[in-house]
Amino acid sequence: MKTAYALLTAFIAIVLPAGAQMRVMAEPNHSPLVTFRIVFTVGAAADTPSKPGLAYLTAAMIANSGSKSLTYQQIEDAMFPLAADFSSQVDKEMTTFYGTTHVDHLDEYYKLIHGMLLDPGWREDDFKRVKDDCIHSIQSGLRNNDEELAKEVLYSDIYQGMPYAHYNGGTVSGLESITLDDVRGFYGSRYTQGVLILGLSGGFTPAFLEKVKADMRKLPPSIGMHTRHPEPGLIHGNRAIIVEKDTRATAISFGFPISCTRQNPDWPALLVASSYLGQHRMAGGVLYDEMREKRGLNYGDYSYIEYFPQGMYRMAAEQNLARRYQIFQIWIRPVHPENAKFALRLALYELDQLIKNGISEENFQMSRDFVSKYSALQLRTQSAQLGFAVDSLFYDSPAFIDALRAKLSKLTAAEVTRVARRYLRTKDLSIAIVANHAEDLRQQLASDDPSPMEYNTPKSQAILDVDKVVQKWPLDLKADSIQIVPAAQIFQ
Amino acid sequence: MFSRLILFACGAAAMFAAQPSQKIFPYAYTQEDLPNGLRIVTVPTDYPNVVALYIVVQTGSRNEIESGHTGFAHLFEHLMFKGTAKYSQDQYNHLIKKMGAESNAFTTDDYTCYQTVFSKEDLPTVLAMEADRFQNLKYPESEFKTETLAVFGEFNKNSSNPFVKMDEVMRDTAYTTHTYKHPTMGFLKDVQAMPQLYDYSLQFFNHYYRPEYTTIVLAGDVKSKTAHDMIVKNWGAWKRGDYKPEIPMEPPQGEAKTNDIAWPDQTLPLIAIAFKGPAYTDSAKDTAALDALSYLAFSETSELYQKLILQEQKADVLFASAPRQVDAGLFEVAARVKKMDDVPYVRDQILETIHNFQEKPVDEKRLDAVRQHIRYQLALSMDNSETIAQIVAEFVALRRTPDTLNKLFDVYSHLTPKDVQDAAAKFLTGNARTIVTLEHKEDAK
Repeated sequence: MKTAYALLTAFIAIVLPAGAQMRVMAEPNHSPLVTFRIVFTVGAAADTPSKPGLAYLTAAMIANSGSKSLTYQQIEDAMFPLAADFSSQVDKEMTTFYGTTHVDHLDEYYKLIHGMLLDPGWREDDFKRVKDDCIHSIQSGLRNNDEELAKEVLYSDIYQGMPYAHYNGGTVSGLESITLDDVRGFYGSRYTQGVLILGLSGGFTPAFLEKVKADMRKLPPSIGMHTRHPEPGLIHGNRAIIVEKDTRATAISFGFPISCTRQNPDWPALLVASSYLGQHRMAGGVLYDEMREKRGLNYGDYSYIEYFPQGMYRMAAEQNLARRYQIFQIWIRPVHPENAKFALRLALYELDQLIKNGISEENFQMSRDFVSKYSALQLRTQSAQLGFAVDSLFYDSPAFIDALRAKLSKLTAAEVTRVARRYLRTKDLSIAIVANHAEDLRQQLASDDPSPMEYNTPKSQAILDVDKVVQKWPLDLKADSIQIVPAAQIFQ
Repeated sequence: MFSRLILFACGAAAMFAAQPSQKIFPYAYTQEDLPNGLRIVTVPTDYPNVVALYIVVQTGSRNEIESGHTGFAHLFEHLMFKGTAKYSQDQYNHLIKKMGAESNAFTTDDYTCYQTVFSKEDLPTVLAMEADRFQNLKYPESEFKTETLAVFGEFNKNSSNPFVKMDEVMRDTAYTTHTYKHPTMGFLKDVQAMPQLYDYSLQFFNHYYRPEYTTIVLAGDVKSKTAHDMIVKNWGAWKRGDYKPEIPMEPPQGEAKTNDIAWPDQTLPLIAIAFKGPAYTDSAKDTAALDALSYLAFSETSELYQKLILQEQKADVLFASAPRQVDAGLFEVAARVKKMDDVPYVRDQILETIHNFQEKPVDEKRLDAVRQHIRYQLALSMDNSETIAQIVAEFVALRRTPDTLNKLFDVYSHLTPKDVQDAAAKFLTGNARTIVTLEHKEDAK
């Protein structure tokens, strides 16, 4: 079997003639599977301001409801023997519908998703169920997942004043206010040919591709200019939100918006700097070594230069979360409440060390080599390959992984240090925390008092010397810049 | 030694053939045992460059037989990354980084699995490093104590999830004696006591990290002969052990049990109904029949799902899981209910559904749809070497061979509606039942 992996470089982007602006990312191969990634470059940033969650609910409605000719029950019954499904994902600037089927069932599967996407049933009972699901995913899901909750609070807070500034899943009151007509209106006006990237990979025929393209041309043409969102505003001084709930441990994430995306020539160097600080859920990063391995503070600590939802469930990031404004983030997994202030100080200290001292030649080479080889491992599945290819279209960076590896091979330690100093900082931060006894924590964080660690085993002098500095590290947080929000009110 | 190597092969085309007895695992693989008892399974795949190494140790929380030592198999999974005299922890991590590899591990009731995914040129280095830590692991008490705190951190990060709490209470309520009584993470008090158990950790390594408990699964861009030579070189001198734990047998339950959880944070109420099921078998029909029942009665195409989730919309989550464990596990149905007042109704609907399956055989066509679903689900997931290794590891953990997968699906092929009915009647009885509910209460502690 000739695999999709081997044919990755054969990805082709077809730009349709003027007037029909749909873009197609088609990768035919001999795989027995066919993968769809149907992406509209419109998402939560296009929500009506009074109705946050509109893009999310619209996509959920398409992926979890009946078509005009089939009820959702009939669709579920038809999908079941195929072991296939059709799912949705919404980020700020992308709405993705995706699924994979065995080629044995391609026509049958496509008929189902064609109906769901292009001829939705818009039934009231489907709408009530899907809307309930969206609300419960906030109330019972996100609010009972301290780590993801802290991260999502951070992701919203850092974009204050721009259309990125709300949770992609919306708010409970926003979702409650959305009507079926709102959803139909969003679908009719936003799911247009001009913002469509049709991604298709696997064992399909040219005739099949032509049929899908012809079907997608039934979507309305785009009217008017595509909105360009304003840049994120500056964060002035450090600020924090403590989400208060009855919980054993304290989950912390902090960060700020960055202007550097995959399009930017500095991105490979920033990726190496971030990987050096802490590669997602892997041992060997500075934060992981210093916080978990040497001091036993928690389960792990990592660094990111892109939005990375669902990190506690995933080893690698999902694709099609491309956006024009990205994020620098440090994720501190839950710590014992008495160590929360020290853990935050230590993460800031290590970030400061990178900025001040730069990266050594040895650490640079190791991190650069890791990123280079690991990036190739990201293309393990046909779905991931197609996802990367679609994102390459968004960022206008063809053959992204190959190009990244070529740039990495020419990178220097000095360049990584320069880029880290340019984009990273230890002030003007947003800090999101999920904790119990929030008022006590606010007082601690606002105070300059030292926060010494107590260990269950003797530590080396080198660790203790660092601790002496860390325990007094200035957090520059004032009590009135620390907001406390009960968990039941977050994203309410 | 290589002459004892057994070659198992079947064509990919067989996967979807109509004949019921053909093998479902589409890859040719080799399987051999070294004289020390170490088993090697190599699965060359069509996916270039990548190799997935899954090392399965048949030791999980099931093996934690001493009181006060729950969670130890999982703690040991962490300790295995602490280094050796030859490769310190830092050196190990640096080499993994240099290779751009992914290295991780997980622990279940029945086994602990060490996963490394890497480029094929790094196979010799990875096998040498893994062989070294399995034979020569060395960590001082100070590092042991620090690592127990990381494990406590893992416990803490899981503790905000109400489904995790449901699982813990369900096990503790349903079992009296067997080690499935405790979750793989361990009970809180035992996790807190771990720092004092350094000596026990050395004993644990000595008992269980032995070749007769271990199977090396290699899937991807790899040749069986090459892998064999490297493994013999690095792992051939590993000494066989002689420890065999006596896992306590669970007595018959004898009566229905219930338990209720008060949850301090906002959530919709949860209900779980569990029954003592069979130990894994592919020589009898029990395992396959209960697995089929979980789809027929509670999956998204079941009548109950359509009633509770789509039509009445009284619940937003409904699922069932059938046991596939070394010893008798739980057949469990769980639902998240939109109103507390409807929990008794949902409970009764689940019990009535079970009763109906006990009374009447299911339509053969629906059973065929389940068979087809399972076959295609497997085919869709096996699109990369890592997932192939992962699937093989799960079945190797039960019977030390990928053929376990073929045997189980052969049983599926011959399953009849009466088999499903009989399994429902045999296992899903009132005297084997435990019901646990979880409800939000402001003042809960």
